[in-house]
Amino acid sequence: MATGEVRQKPIELILARNFLASLSTPSFLVDHHGQLVYFNDAAGALLGKRFEETGAMSAREWGARWGPFGEDGAPLPYEELPLTTALKQGHPAAGRFTVRDSSGRQHQILSSALPVVGADAFRGAIVFFWPLDSSRDLIGASP
Amino acid sequence: MKLTVWGARGSVPAPGPQTTRYGGNTPCVAITLADGALVVLDAGTGIRNLGLTLASEPQRIHILLTHLHLDHIQGLMFFAPLFNPDSEIVIWGPEAPGVSLQDRIARYISAPLSPVEIRELPCAMSFNSAPPSEWEIGPATIRAESIAHRGPTLGFRISEAGSTLCYIPDHEPALGAPLDPSQPEWISGYGLARGASLLIHDCQYADEEYEEHLGWGHSKLSDAVAFAACSEAERVLLFHHDPLHSDDFLDSLSDLAAARWVQYGGAPDRIALARETQEIALAGQLLGGA
Ligand SMILES: [Zn+2]
Ligand SMILES: [Zn+2]
Repeated sequence: MATGEVRQKPIELILARNFLASLSTPSFLVDHHGQLVYFNDAAGALLGKRFEETGAMSAREWGARWGPFGEDGAPLPYEELPLTTALKQGHPAAGRFTVRDSSGRQHQILSSALPVVGADAFRGAIVFFWPLDSSRDLIGASP
Repeated sequence: MKLTVWGARGSVPAPGPQTTRYGGNTPCVAITLADGALVVLDAGTGIRNLGLTLASEPQRIHILLTHLHLDHIQGLMFFAPLFNPDSEIVIWGPEAPGVSLQDRIARYISAPLSPVEIRELPCAMSFNSAPPSEWEIGPATIRAESIAHRGPTLGFRISEAGSTLCYIPDHEPALGAPLDPSQPEWISGYGLARGASLLIHDCQYADEEYEEHLGWGHSKLSDAVAFAACSEAERVLLFHHDPLHSDDFLDSLSDLAAARWVQYGGAPDRIALARETQEIALAGQLLGGA
C-alpha cells in the first residue's frame, strides 16, 4: 500500500489553475513562495512557449526569460512588480510593461495581480495580463 | 477497521420500491476502530438507522462531516445518542470564513427548521474545525483536506493498522481540466486517496448526464473511475447515487464501472456501487450485504 505523503496542492490553487486553463485571458498562477506554478495557453501563445514545455519556475527565472523589462531593456526588479505587491503586501496591484516572447519580439502589456487567500492561509496570486499590440489577435477574443 | 454503509444516496433521500437494494438514505458511513471506538462519516439520513443500533450505554462518538450540505447533516437531529445525557458527541467539519462550525450547523438545528436547539440537546456536544495537520482518534490517524466541490468541503483519509480508508463523497475533481495522472499533485483529493485500501468516491452521474450538471460539484462515472485509477486505490466503492437512479439503472452503472476499471488494469470485483447496510472489513473480507 502506498503511503499518503504526496500532498495535493492547496485546493484554491487547483481551482484557480483549472479556471485559468479555461480562459483565453493570458494569465499565470504563483504560489505563496513566488514559484510560478502555471500559465495558461493564452499566455503561452503570447510568449511562444507552452507551460507543458517549460514546467514550473521561479518568478525570477520567469522575469529573466520574458520580463517585464524596463526602458533600458533590463528586467525590472522583482520587488517592483505587481505580482510582488500581491504576494508580499497582500493587495491587488497593476502596471504597464514590456515583455519579450521566445523569439525576442517585444510586446506592451497591461498586468494585474490579485492575491489568492484561502480559508486558513495565504495561497499565492493570479496575474492577468493583456497585450496592447497586435499580438492580442493570438488570444482570439476581444470584448 | 470495519465499516458499514448507512446511506449512499446523494442530494436528497430517495426511498421507494425503485431503490430498495442500493437504499435511499443520504450519506453516512460508520467505522468501528480496533479499540471499539466509533467514527461516523457524515450525518445524512442514514445516521438515524445507525443510532437505532447503538445500545443506550454511554458512548463517545466522533462525527466527521465533509461539509454542511443538507444531505450530509439532515440525519444529525435524529441520531439517538444526541438525546442520551451520557453520550459525548465530537463533531469535526470544515472551516469557513467568519462563522464557527457550531453556528453553521445551528442554522439547521434551530427554529424554524428544528423543534430543538443545539443547547437543548442532553448529550455533551463539541465542535471542532478539522485541523490542517493529522490528528488521532483512538488508534486511527485522520487527515482532512479541502477538495473540489461547492463551498468549503473536506475529504478524509483514515488510517489504522496498515489499512486506509479514503472518503470523498462529494467531489468534482475534473471540473475545468481533465484529470492528468502525470501531475497528480494538481488533482483535488489525490493526496488523500493515494494508495488507499478502500476509496469511497462520488459517482453521482452517468457520463451522458454530466454535461447538464457541469459544475454542480459531482463526478460522472468515467471521472470517478479515472480518479480511483490515478490514485491507485486498491478497492473502490462508488457513492452518492443520484436520487433519480433506480436500482436497475445503478446495476447498469456498476457494470460500466467494472468494465472501465478493468481497462485501467483493475480486477472487476474490486469496484462496486455502495449499498446501504453493506459491511466491509478492511484488511479482511467482505462481511455481507455485497
Ligand atoms: Zn452530498
Ligand atoms: Zn455536497
